Amino acid sequence: MSAIGPYRDIVLDHHRAPRRLGRLAPPAQAAEGVNALCGDRLRIEVRVEQDRVTAYAFEGECCAIATATASLLGDLALGRGRDDLALLERGFATLIGGGIAEIAELGALNALSELARYPARRKCALLPFATLSAALRGESRATTELPA
Amino acid sequence: MNAPLHETSPTFDPLRARADFPLLTRSVHGKPLVYFDSANTSQKPAVVIEAVDRFYRQHNANVARAVHALSEEATTAYEGARAALARFIGAGSPGELVLTSGTTMAINLVAYSNLQPRLQPGDTVLVTQMEHHANIVPWQLVCARSGATLKVAPISERGELIVERFVELLTPEVRLAGVTHVSNVLGTVNPVRELAHECRRRGIPLLVDGSQAVPHMPVDVQSIGCDFYAFTGHKMCGPTGTGGLWARRERLESMPPFFGGGEMIREVRFAGTTFADPPHRFEAGTPNIAGFVGLGAAVQYLEGLGMANVLARERELLAYATDALHSVPGLRIVGEASGKAAIISFLVAGAHAHDLATLLDLEGIAVRSGHHCAHPLMQFYGVPATCRASFAFYNTTDEIDRFVAALDKVRRLLA
Repeated sequence: MSAIGPYRDIVLDHHRAPRRLGRLAPPAQAAEGVNALCGDRLRIEVRVEQDRVTAYAFEGECCAIATATASLLGDLALGRGRDDLALLERGFATLIGGGIAEIAELGALNALSELARYPARRKCALLPFATLSAALRGESRATTELPA
Repeated sequence: MNAPLHETSPTFDPLRARADFPLLTRSVHGKPLVYFDSANTSQKPAVVIEAVDRFYRQHNANVARAVHALSEEATTAYEGARAALARFIGAGSPGELVLTSGTTMAINLVAYSNLQPRLQPGDTVLVTQMEHHANIVPWQLVCARSGATLKVAPISERGELIVERFVELLTPEVRLAGVTHVSNVLGTVNPVRELAHECRRRGIPLLVDGSQAVPHMPVDVQSIGCDFYAFTGHKMCGPTGTGGLWARRERLESMPPFFGGGEMIREVRFAGTTFADPPHRFEAGTPNIAGFVGLGAAVQYLEGLGMANVLARERELLAYATDALHSVPGLRIVGEASGKAAIISFLVAGAHAHDLATLLDLEGIAVRSGHHCAHPLMQFYGVPATCRASFAFYNTTDEIDRFVAALDKVRRLLA
């Protein structure tokens, strides 16, 4: 079966077999990401040592887009600091907003660029980024849905 | 049911009716469109589009204001649409029909103009577990202002209202009951005549939300026996921003205005204003004139098809689709009431509703995914979202075949 639209093979692969699924042993910083309108809900935990992410884990109930993004985000986050990740989060938002075709540093996350044609689904891919960012700032909750 | 215009016609040809809808010939993502989102909004036949176009090209003017010819024409067209709609739903007269922007506006009108003035602390409003937010939130807002509370009549796992429980909950402190005629998620058709009878015996006004009923079956508001009937135009082949509230004349006469402004007054003085009679009392400001002209054309179109034919055709499509969907592994239909309308909400094991809907869209198939403006119902079933395929008389069994094949394909992709 061939992949279609934003559901490229690598996205489907990370949806079917998410990496770094679960929780970290303490100490860890954690945040919950909740998009109540679509029902996506995930928890991201990170360990930060010397301003760098040294461990990453997530769990939750999400659509394939959010699950795959959370899984791929683990690869991206490890070894990076908060400011670097904030920059990449903005870059990813630009990528899936159709503002740029590819950002080399995002690696496999570029597979989600097709979301430029699916504005209603961008919030799904942005949720793990927002949740990671909240965890790194010491905040407990994140959402990428506008207040109704 | 009893009006001659609702009789079955042997000349009804669903494929000819389909050809009346220009949009249905387009492609999406390079594939022929399959539109299974009519419960969200219906497509529009050419006669409706042309009626709106003709109004703006030839008759456009404001209503009930100027004495010139165009204004007379616009007023005649607008009031003609009211009369056609009133006849279509079995109202006693056009004066019993307030034209609104849709069901939401109609329910809010009842909430603020009829209910709130008589609501006291300790009073309650009764709704059901299967209501659309439009038949929940307006009541919550007026309850919060008055110290009243909302209570909820339960449904069964199959998605049917538990009528005995509803009746038990019709206690003396209930000031109004609000029930959907047809559930927008489950397709359940509620026994509104029976509910109206029980409410009437206890002197409790009943509002019926007819959004999903009027487009799909013969409706006769007087034989239902409810106090208020709200509906929307855009789900019944009409333009968006149109709809109505039916209530008996004396009921409307007892209600103060909700919105103030032009059109709804008799005489304005700074010392005080006297208001127009219903229904104009509730139609402040310039209405959606062209929209209602289009809705009038939609009514004429549906009368031409015959609502009994529409109902029969949609029942065929529902039976065909339900049967075909049972062949999809891991698929569960949410809402299995007997005699339901042509709406199928479903879940597929291991696949999120939004993923299914996005992947179906890539196959040219439009279904809705999400909570369908019915959070409490989703909570009842313990799911964040469902996919929903909703049918109209202009759909075909070929489209259902394509939908089921595509669904099986995307299910495998996500598995």
